Amino acid sequence: MTAARAPRFRLEPYVQFAKKAMAREATYRFDVFTTVASVLVRVYLLRMVWVALYARNTAPKELPLHAIITYSTVALLMGLVMDIDQTRLLHDKLHSGGIATDFMKPIVVPFYLFADGSGEVIFHAALIVPSLLLALLFVHIDVPGPLTLVTFFASFALGYLVGLFVNFILNCVAFWTLEIHAMQLIVTWITDLFGGEIIPLVIFPAFLQKIAFALPFAAMFSTPLLIYVGAIPPERYAWALGVQAFWVVVLALASTVIWRAGAKRVIVQGG
Amino acid sequence: MDRLRVMGNVYKQYWRINILTTLEYRENFLIWFAFTFIYHGSAIAALWIVLNRFPSMNGWTFRDMAFLYGMWMLAHALHNTFFSTVGDIPEHVRDGEFDRLLVRPLDTLFQAIATPGQVFPDELILALFTFCAATWYCGVVVDATFLIFVPLIVVGGALIDLAFNLFISTVAFWFVRVDALRWIVIQLEQEFTRYPISIYSRGVRLLLTFVVPFAFMNYFPARFFLHKAHEGAMLPAPVGLLTPAIGLLAVALAYVFWRIGLNRYSGVGN
Repeated sequence: MTAARAPRFRLEPYVQFAKKAMAREATYRFDVFTTVASVLVRVYLLRMVWVALYARNTAPKELPLHAIITYSTVALLMGLVMDIDQTRLLHDKLHSGGIATDFMKPIVVPFYLFADGSGEVIFHAALIVPSLLLALLFVHIDVPGPLTLVTFFASFALGYLVGLFVNFILNCVAFWTLEIHAMQLIVTWITDLFGGEIIPLVIFPAFLQKIAFALPFAAMFSTPLLIYVGAIPPERYAWALGVQAFWVVVLALASTVIWRAGAKRVIVQGG
Repeated sequence: MDRLRVMGNVYKQYWRINILTTLEYRENFLIWFAFTFIYHGSAIAALWIVLNRFPSMNGWTFRDMAFLYGMWMLAHALHNTFFSTVGDIPEHVRDGEFDRLLVRPLDTLFQAIATPGQVFPDELILALFTFCAATWYCGVVVDATFLIFVPLIVVGGALIDLAFNLFISTVAFWFVRVDALRWIVIQLEQEFTRYPISIYSRGVRLLLTFVVPFAFMNYFPARFFLHKAHEGAMLPAPVGLLTPAIGLLAVALAYVFWRIGLNRYSGVGN
């Protein structure tokens, strides 16, 4: 077999994949409504929970009541983007067998999967605006200074990448065992808890805090949120972002290794 | 009488198939059991973490909250074990399977409940352990009232769950996709029953008491057994023992709605 010359990489098809995914998401209008409604219900719930807890106990000094309410609300808004199973398409394709034909197309398959996920993510990112405006009916949110805000967005982006690769690795497991739904849910619960999405890691008991901060999940929610509410001061920004970048690199490498092993399986089995 | 005997046999077969299926797909069962375990484990862990830092939630300690959670979990697991199949009705309607149930000579709802899948009482067993541990841990006095009423309350709580499950499934006769609605109700139940309802605003307390009475699954009974009558003074303490009645009423209403939906569905000429 003569090796086909690798086609020149063009970005345009991937932009089209993303656009198509966006259009697909936009057709489920009722789901959009429930997504936003669910965020609002949880904003209300968490506000009530924190108010009740702060009323009868001494507040932690790094997180006064207004800061923790801001934390929870921003976390829920981030969740609109972060909680998406961006590379679910891989799992679906492995189930249906469609992955085999994708390998024959003149595209880089992981890029195709990411492009499709990005379409979904961009669509959900747009929901942050109405969700935020409606959430302001229930809660007051602190807005930090420009430096903190910019660092927050950078950290959010890194956190998004950490989540993307964790997710991608999980979906790659479907190369070996097709039933991954339960495992994904298990990882979701663990991420929710140890990522600091619901409870800020700084109020964990000391020993659990040590464990949580050593795991990659903390880079997903906790780091950007602690930057936002000022629990991570500006002199530690570089370190915090550095740790996130470290996890992005480690998980990207792991993803590459697992993807190659998985893709080889498909090609070997498929003849 | 004959009909009851047939139903009894069908139901026995239903459980036989469930258990055989579970034994056949052992790995699948194990991973879903791990899921159930971690789901409840992480919820309890989250409560513990928060109440370790803030020892009192409106006067409720972690011990009280563990009892509150255990009570909900037991009722919810009882429902999941015996009635989760009701939630599959919309799917049967969508793919046309449901019409087969209509032409068979047994009650349609009974048939829907007894459609085998992969049900196994693992969550129920886990919930029983959790509830017993929570009862011991929070030091509730286990007296005659407790022993008589707790089983009834748990059944009543499961019936409240069933009522909503049936209600949402019935909506599928009008709107084919009810996943989103179901998801909202499940979320409302799971997250709002986790805390004593006294922390919510008046409107939400009324909603959880009279409209979607999830507060009767655990909050009111727990308030009675933990002697917290003073709090959430909205209703007197013995209201906590009314759960079985509320459960029956809710199921009765849901069943009436189900009959209306069913008549409409089979009347359209499907």
